[in-house]
Amino acid sequence: MAGGWTIFPFVAVGVMALSVVGAVVAWCMHQRSRMAVIASLAAILLLVGFVVHLWLLLERPPLRTMGETRLWYSLFLLVAGLFTYQRWHYRPILSFSTLLSSVFLIINVLRPEIHDQTLMPALQSMWFVPHVSVYMFSYGLLGCAALLAFYGLVRPKSRPDEALQSLLTGGLSLFTIGMLSGALWAKEAWGLYWSWDPKEAWAAATWGLYLVVIHGRGWSRRMRYVVVLLAFVALQMCWYGVNYLPSAQRSVHTYNQQ
Amino acid sequence: MVQQGDKKGFWAGAGVLLGLGLLFLLQGVAGSLPIELFRFPLNLILLLIWVWSLVALYRRCHESKGVQWLLSMRATRLSLLFLVVIGLFFGLQTEPAATSWPVVGMLLFVQSVLGLVILRGWRNEQGVRYAFLLNHVGLWLALVGAFWGAPDREELRVAVEREVATREAYRPDGSRTLLAYEMQLRDFHLESYADGSPSSFEAEVEVAGKEVSLRVNHPYQLNFGEAVYLISYDRSASSPRYCIVEVVREPWRGVTLVGIGMMILGALSSFLVGHRGAEKPTLKTKNE
Repeated sequence: MAGGWTIFPFVAVGVMALSVVGAVVAWCMHQRSRMAVIASLAAILLLVGFVVHLWLLLERPPLRTMGETRLWYSLFLLVAGLFTYQRWHYRPILSFSTLLSSVFLIINVLRPEIHDQTLMPALQSMWFVPHVSVYMFSYGLLGCAALLAFYGLVRPKSRPDEALQSLLTGGLSLFTIGMLSGALWAKEAWGLYWSWDPKEAWAAATWGLYLVVIHGRGWSRRMRYVVVLLAFVALQMCWYGVNYLPSAQRSVHTYNQQ
Repeated sequence: MVQQGDKKGFWAGAGVLLGLGLLFLLQGVAGSLPIELFRFPLNLILLLIWVWSLVALYRRCHESKGVQWLLSMRATRLSLLFLVVIGLFFGLQTEPAATSWPVVGMLLFVQSVLGLVILRGWRNEQGVRYAFLLNHVGLWLALVGAFWGAPDREELRVAVEREVATREAYRPDGSRTLLAYEMQLRDFHLESYADGSPSSFEAEVEVAGKEVSLRVNHPYQLNFGEAVYLISYDRSASSPRYCIVEVVREPWRGVTLVGIGMMILGALSSFLVGHRGAEKPTLKTKNE
């Protein structure tokens, strides 16, 4: 039973160090830097290694508890950041993704919510991993989009619009797939595609807000950035904020609260 | 010109909000919508009349200010905001009323705007817009199936026992009804983790003369619109004497399913192609 969360602080420090190196190099170089890509890739592989290790140790996909989903969020943020950097050569993106991903790694180091090995029968479904991991990837892309919007808001000259649009399209597409795979799973589990469970309701609100942004033709840049940030706030409610609401009592999504 | 457009939008928006206010008033006075009144065939008839009206409205009056406003990006954004509002309504309340008048009104508005937008935008000068159609018709079908099909949806709970076959079922309101077929529990397998919590359970149930195995996430599809779900079991004994199943009848299931499938394909194509696929429609467009 060696390893698991006990070695996580070392892994986290390694991942953060590598991604910081990648971010700093990317920030300093005017052209796309191979060194930045390699360092970021190494950080991602290290984190992937830990996830696989945890998966084998727990004998189930590590996707059930808050701490485990944060792990995926950190991972997919780094992946989304590297993807954006590689494709659009947007220099600050690696710093953004590193920062946000590090926040979740640090939270996990300080508050590792370690849980028992049991996976309740309701979660034993072929939909489980795609449903959650597509969501996590979409959260990663939309997290990057929110950071770009914030950057555009405080530094209007930066004009991150092209990368922002791509992140929004990618993030929203995956969010949609996450939501619909959830609907198909729900039909299989309870016979109802959509039951307005609080988590589903917040997902609908978040989805609607991102669709408003996508349909925001003729808007000023500023307006666009503000609504992207608003949608990101809704996303936080959908992801974990909902657990702290009174309405969570009737939710089927609060597996982390026994 | 811009000024006038704003004015038109203002009055249209005010009209929609006034309508919404009236629905809230109606909710306060009369309570939730009695959807059981809208069972087949009434829901189908109303749906056909509504679709026909949308098509007629688009064909005959698409130059009118009202329809132009409904086709504008503002109306699209307003309808999406309604979706957000409904989400917040259900997300914040501990016991929301799913069939309340304002929710029904907002959902109808969303479907109407979406329907008109589809009628306008399904093709442009370059030809048929497949990605647009997948995303928009998909959502429209998913909403139509869930919304108009809701009155025909039935959930019946049955306590299936080992000793006797039963056809007794109970609706959510507690009223009793009889199934057209019998059910009987033949066998039950239960496995547990070391800490005693169940790791898997499976019921062998005879349904309509056929022995089927039921598990969580693995219902038995009796026919296209009817399926049997394992909900719970007798926890008082190590070898459960009964289990609780739910019979779900949802004749409109296929409509929603096709809609969801189209939306997934649409989202995949958006993800792969990116935002370049979302050009502005040029046909009969006169907005902003």
